[in-house]
Amino acid sequence: MSLDKVKRRDFLKILGWGGAGATLVGCDMPTTVTLEEGKEEVVAYLAPEEYVIPGIGVWYASTCQQCPAACGLHGRVREGRVLKLEGNPDSSVNTGKLCQMGQAGLQGHYNPDRISKPMARKGGALAEVSWDEALAILDDKTGTKSGLDGTRLAWVTGAVSGHQSVMINAHLASTGSKNHFVQEVVNDAVWRAVCQDMLGVSNPRLRLDKAGVVLSFGADFLGTWGSPVHFSREYSKFRNSPRGTLIQAEPKMTLTGANADLWLPARPGTEGILALGIANELMVAQGVDNIPAQFKSLIRAYPLNKVANETGLSAEHIRNAAKMLKQRGPSLVMAGASAQGHEHGYQAVAAAMMLNIILGNVGKTIQAGPEVPFNQMRASAGGSSDIVAFADGLDKSDYDVVFFYNANPVYTAPDALKIKDKLGKIGFKVALSQFEDETTSQADLVLPLTSALEDWGTHVSPVQTGASEISVQQPLMEKLYSETRGFGDIMLALLKIRKSNAFSGFDDYYAYLRNAVSNMPAGSKKNSGGDDWSMALQTGLLAVNGRSADIAARVVPISMPAVSDNQQYPLHLAPSARLGLWDGRHANLPWLQEAPDQISKVVWDSWAELHPKTAAKLGIKQGDLIKISSSHGTIQARVYIYKGVNKDTVAVPLGQGHEGYGRYANGLGVNPLKILNPVTDARTGELALFATRVSVSPAGSDDGGKLVRMGGSETQVGRKLVATISADVFERTEGGA
Amino acid sequence: MSVTQHFSAGRIVPCDLKRTSRVRTLPGSAVFVLLCLAYLMLSTAALAEGVESTVPGAVAPVGTYEGEDVKQPIEFPHYIHAKVNKINCMYCHTYARRSKVAGIPPTSKCMGCHSVIATDKPRIKKLTEYWEKKEPPKWKKVHDVPDFVHFTHEKHLRRFVFNNDAMPVERVSEVCAFCHGEVKDMKVAKKTKPLNMGFCRRCHEANNGPFDCWKCHK
Repeated sequence: MSLDKVKRRDFLKILGWGGAGATLVGCDMPTTVTLEEGKEEVVAYLAPEEYVIPGIGVWYASTCQQCPAACGLHGRVREGRVLKLEGNPDSSVNTGKLCQMGQAGLQGHYNPDRISKPMARKGGALAEVSWDEALAILDDKTGTKSGLDGTRLAWVTGAVSGHQSVMINAHLASTGSKNHFVQEVVNDAVWRAVCQDMLGVSNPRLRLDKAGVVLSFGADFLGTWGSPVHFSREYSKFRNSPRGTLIQAEPKMTLTGANADLWLPARPGTEGILALGIANELMVAQGVDNIPAQFKSLIRAYPLNKVANETGLSAEHIRNAAKMLKQRGPSLVMAGASAQGHEHGYQAVAAAMMLNIILGNVGKTIQAGPEVPFNQMRASAGGSSDIVAFADGLDKSDYDVVFFYNANPVYTAPDALKIKDKLGKIGFKVALSQFEDETTSQADLVLPLTSALEDWGTHVSPVQTGASEISVQQPLMEKLYSETRGFGDIMLALLKIRKSNAFSGFDDYYAYLRNAVSNMPAGSKKNSGGDDWSMALQTGLLAVNGRSADIAARVVPISMPAVSDNQQYPLHLAPSARLGLWDGRHANLPWLQEAPDQISKVVWDSWAELHPKTAAKLGIKQGDLIKISSSHGTIQARVYIYKGVNKDTVAVPLGQGHEGYGRYANGLGVNPLKILNPVTDARTGELALFATRVSVSPAGSDDGGKLVRMGGSETQVGRKLVATISADVFERTEGGA
Repeated sequence: MSVTQHFSAGRIVPCDLKRTSRVRTLPGSAVFVLLCLAYLMLSTAALAEGVESTVPGAVAPVGTYEGEDVKQPIEFPHYIHAKVNKINCMYCHTYARRSKVAGIPPTSKCMGCHSVIATDKPRIKKLTEYWEKKEPPKWKKVHDVPDFVHFTHEKHLRRFVFNNDAMPVERVSEVCAFCHGEVKDMKVAKKTKPLNMGFCRRCHEANNGPFDCWKCHK
């Protein structure tokens, strides 16, 4: 090789040989400033525990607080810092696994936007105060000499369980109030109501592992329904030998939909009609005859062609779904967000449950699970009906004092409910919070909470797992901010202010919990050998003897309205939740902002999903900025054109559009909840999240921004990266069965 | 413009200098390749560096460093402990054999002896004050490597002491001295070795240590 003919490739090869030597010559560079001697401090332990070795992590058990599912945690602690979270293998909820939201719990804990000191409103603005001052203000406003009419006090919280529930109830009891609003936008409240009415059990155990075919009406159980981690584990059993069949009916493809064998993008609001159509096909073509008479007449009114017409699906697909349900059973039918999110949401979910009844699933794939025997500790899973009920109460000026904990109604409530304005009607608002958010910033008094990794607690999962467990939350490290306090400790202080005798014998929440665990009735305990409390801390769990209720199918009247057209607002808005930002509570965690959406691969932003045909009809191209208008407002987002959305639907994800949630969340994207029509499900009062009609048009002016996506293209561009073969061809050429 | 500059402008460093012609760039690449080869030869020569050491089966790394005197909260005299009283380094730095860090001994360990020994000395009085306040002294770090370097004491001790049959553990200070110098002759510890990548690399080469990038950079 002559040197004057060195090509680029040869040059790189030579560089490769010489690379090691060439780069290593630079290794004797002087050390950088941070490594100067005598600048950094190194502090030894005063008197360490025997098992503590600097540089080597110790794992402690606790409970995840990133969503209401209450997964068991193991946290690695090194040199007094928690560094990594994993699932607790002993927990029946997550059996050793942890989702991305759980992993990102660390970023909530170390978040620079945490509130470190109590704050009180002085001259219109929040200013830091001492705890003594904060407690004096609380005494002045809520104490026994405050003149407060206790019934005019309310608690607004997120899902809560365990002894935290007990404490809130004790505080309410001390004032005589019954106002506890449990607000969760991502919920399964309608499903629970239907289960209660049609099975006699509000929280049945779903045996995906026993099912051969699962039909889910918008229940994104791999992403946002119940416990994603628990159901993912069950799903893997369902998909293994023999492989179960998954059918998903929903207007916008969720993570679960993306995994389905048959994905049915029924027109929003027709999920119940689809269920009745499938029932009709089961009755007429598949010979299912064990159908209660009340259902029979209803089902007859939904022949295949009519249902195909109303849902916008092909009759062939509906016929196939019915065939699979019958022939690949045992089956299991579930219903979630997009089915329940309508004025007739209860009816749609009831129609889905009817399928379970006529397919004989009750008692087989839907069972009554053992529940924790202590009613007062069971999970209040909550729902959006409590947002509406709270807004109604505010309209009537029902509350003088309101406590907020793990709830952000100013962000999650539709603008039409005017929660932010109405909060002004409350005389005294207290927020117990780790972060300043849209609701906290309206409060008159802000009490800084420790992070979930610094606090004590007990939790009961709202999901039936087959085991009856109380999950223990213990601090994984010392408090980062000395003036933050644990939720339980604050509750004890509040009870003291109310001169309540409940729990007055306990110095702190730790002492109370320890006592409560040690004094559990002997018959309820399952742990054996050794001290209960030590066992609970070691394993992170308290196994208790559960109680199972009886489960039996009951018939309820179902009526299904047709979906009407709307000329002014032709499209349906699908505000879709995703595993990641959830209802927006995780928008301040950069890891979750950075993790691409499972379907669109978008990061750090909102987007609007449109079907290619709908986009073409509206003259909208990939990445265009569009206006989405409902009768209650307009939002703007860039378009992601994708086939995984119903043609009459525009889907906008939940989670972004924060205005006061810290440096990482603010100013990103939009919040689709803001433009919702405040209509509710007629039976349960749940906000009909999927019932809002919208119009879509190009935004007009465009700042030239881009939708940042972590995915390149949706197709293989003919490169055959993944070889596929149709089932027909496979059967013909490979002799597949 | 020299040939080398022209090469780097045209091929590697994006800047506003335009490539003139392909004919003129080729000799540039040739010169660069020669330079690379020269570097390779020079550095290969350097790889074999190392000096004989008292530790059997080991070659001591080469390199010196003129460290600063570091002011510590208590002037801890290493020579009294390690030389006069012949205390093994790992008696106090007990984590070295178990963990990536050698660890500063916990205050309780100091007090284990000094609640009875030399209690009248000013430095011990100061130490006792810390102990009684339940506050460990805030020592200043003398030896450190950047966060992107994974250095573990445990593996080095295993190689040179515990898996080295000819090396009695009583003489561990000779191994410590590879990187920390003759601490037993010092009062307050001072950095006397460069602890940079060249220093590590030469020792790894001389002692057949792992040479993959990700052994240290992970």
